[in-house]
Amino acid sequence: MRANRHLTTTIPLVLSIVLVPLTIAMAFWWTGEDADQGLSQKIFYFHVPIALTSYAAFGFGAFCAAMYLWKRTEVWDLRSYVGVHSGTIFGTLVLVTGPIWAKASWGVWWNWGDRQLNVFLILFLYYCAYFMLRFSLDEGERRRSASAVFALLGVGLIPMSFLAVRIAQTLIHPAVFTTNGAAMPGPFLLTFVVGLAAMLSLMVLLISVELRGKRAAARVLELQRIARGEDA
Amino acid sequence: MIGAALAIARVKLVLEIRRREVIFAMLLFIAATIVIVHFALSGDTGAGNRAAAGMLWAAVVFTAVLGLLRTFSAEHEGGVLDALLLAPIDRAAIWLGTALAQFGFLIVIEVVAVPIWWVLFFQSEGPSIGTVVIALLLADVGIALVGTLSAALALGARTRDVLLPVLVLPLLIPVVLGGVTATYGAFGEEVGGLRPLGFLALYDLVFIALAWGTSEHLLSD
Amino acid sequence: MQPPVITLAECSKRFGERLALRKATLSVAAGETVVVLGPNGAGKSTMLRLIAGLLRPTAGSARIGEVEAISAPKQVRAGIAYAGHQPQLYRGLTARENLELHLRLHQMAADTSALLERVGLGDRADERIDGFSRGMLQRLALARATAHEPVLLLLDEPASGLDADGRALLDDTLRAGIGQRTQVVASHDHELAARLGVREVRLENGGIA
Repeated sequence: MRANRHLTTTIPLVLSIVLVPLTIAMAFWWTGEDADQGLSQKIFYFHVPIALTSYAAFGFGAFCAAMYLWKRTEVWDLRSYVGVHSGTIFGTLVLVTGPIWAKASWGVWWNWGDRQLNVFLILFLYYCAYFMLRFSLDEGERRRSASAVFALLGVGLIPMSFLAVRIAQTLIHPAVFTTNGAAMPGPFLLTFVVGLAAMLSLMVLLISVELRGKRAAARVLELQRIARGEDA
Repeated sequence: MIGAALAIARVKLVLEIRRREVIFAMLLFIAATIVIVHFALSGDTGAGNRAAAGMLWAAVVFTAVLGLLRTFSAEHEGGVLDALLLAPIDRAAIWLGTALAQFGFLIVIEVVAVPIWWVLFFQSEGPSIGTVVIALLLADVGIALVGTLSAALALGARTRDVLLPVLVLPLLIPVVLGGVTATYGAFGEEVGGLRPLGFLALYDLVFIALAWGTSEHLLSD
Repeated sequence: MQPPVITLAECSKRFGERLALRKATLSVAAGETVVVLGPNGAGKSTMLRLIAGLLRPTAGSARIGEVEAISAPKQVRAGIAYAGHQPQLYRGLTARENLELHLRLHQMAADTSALLERVGLGDRADERIDGFSRGMLQRLALARATAHEPVLLLLDEPASGLDADGRALLDDTLRAGIGQRTQVVASHDHELAARLGVREVRLENGGIA
């Protein structure tokens, strides 16, 4: 079990150390310049993988929330919280890299016609509310189940936001992926995939490090209780 | 299940009729909001149909949140929630009954607010009223559902009154987007026919399903 | 429905850093009546709420018959009555309306006038309860708790606020229930167990003494 925990940190750590610099190198030196967007297109290799990673983290958080409601063991609550937390961190990066790209491509910091970015704005507000909910309830059963239920509502909110933004908007994000599949030259696609792998391993690393910290804190509390003679 | 939900909804409406705690506040609030926005747009009725549509939906959502602040207060005060949790009914009935009452409150305020909105923003030609009414009804279902759900989650929180709007508003952004788009459509603008209304109905269904699935965990503990 | 057996097995409940109940083990036989004594903050209320299934144990278990109290199905909940510190009544409704709602949720029909008469509220039946005194609320709470003929009655300090008549009424209600249903009563009244001729359990500092 202990060796196992060790691996869940070491493997993503090694992968991140290799893949993140590799993505940067590939993006700047290997792929050619985009015909329309030039250098500013490079942020695509970071912005989009970060966004996808953020969804993965929120998905993980929701999955663990469902597991908590089923199993009722504290560890699933912690996993769910940590998932949502890292999703929010990556989400913040999306909201930072998005406007940079928008400024370079369209000359404005915020393009309300950009569907993904607007969905992200909704989700960001929503997951910030998750933290407010969690921290205004006292620690215990009620906080765990309320957090889990709220995290699960995100499963409905994400597709609903996509649909709503789609219905409400006429302007379209520059779709690099068309419905026919990726319309990118080989090196572009490969760099994108490597970038995605890099961000996903960073996410796993973040989650496992934070979980370790939380577990250690929980263990300290437990030891304090035992020291006080409350062995429950 | 339905019987228990109706019994709870009935009690909530009776309480409201006797004490008039929520509806009057909501009515005054929505009227004031509409007037304020009207002046904020420089009292210019030419501000455009889009501005008019947007302001109706913003007013409805903010007013709904105001009403939600008192959702479970009658149960919270006397410890009634314990009795409801122990009653041999589906826990979903508690939440459904409360949402039904909330839905009723929203209808009442809209019956008053929509004419005010109409008179202030449109002199002669307004949107097609049928579409606006259907959009509001569909949205009210979603607002009542999601609002009640969030109010249940916020029960027992230290900062309940501040927390609740923060929880509800992001969840209602899709409703506002759908509602506003449907209202543009009511002005004859091309926004994809019945799609916005269909979207509002879909939103209701998705959150009914989610609320149903989680209702056992909502109020207990 | 038969009166159920109550089993607490090393049941603990923690609120944040405070341990409200510490490894309590208790079993109450079917139809038995138990008085739980203990100072304020000893964990009496927590224990009753755990048995009622209103709280989930942090460790150990609380069972009603064969099921965990927290996940008791509707059929089991139908037989439970719990009256706590709060009256569990809607303040804006009349005494009768409160009882009617309660019976409706239990899908029962009963003569509310007779129920109210029995607890001495016959002439106040159609008054809104926000004008009721503590003792009157307590009487109404007792009427509510027994209205659906429960097989498990959990009362948390039911005598508080009651006058002499009210306490006599409470004693009569409990006495009538002995052998008929399982009853657990948290109380400060040291004579109660002796008066009823039943077992008493002492709670101190979250543990059974």
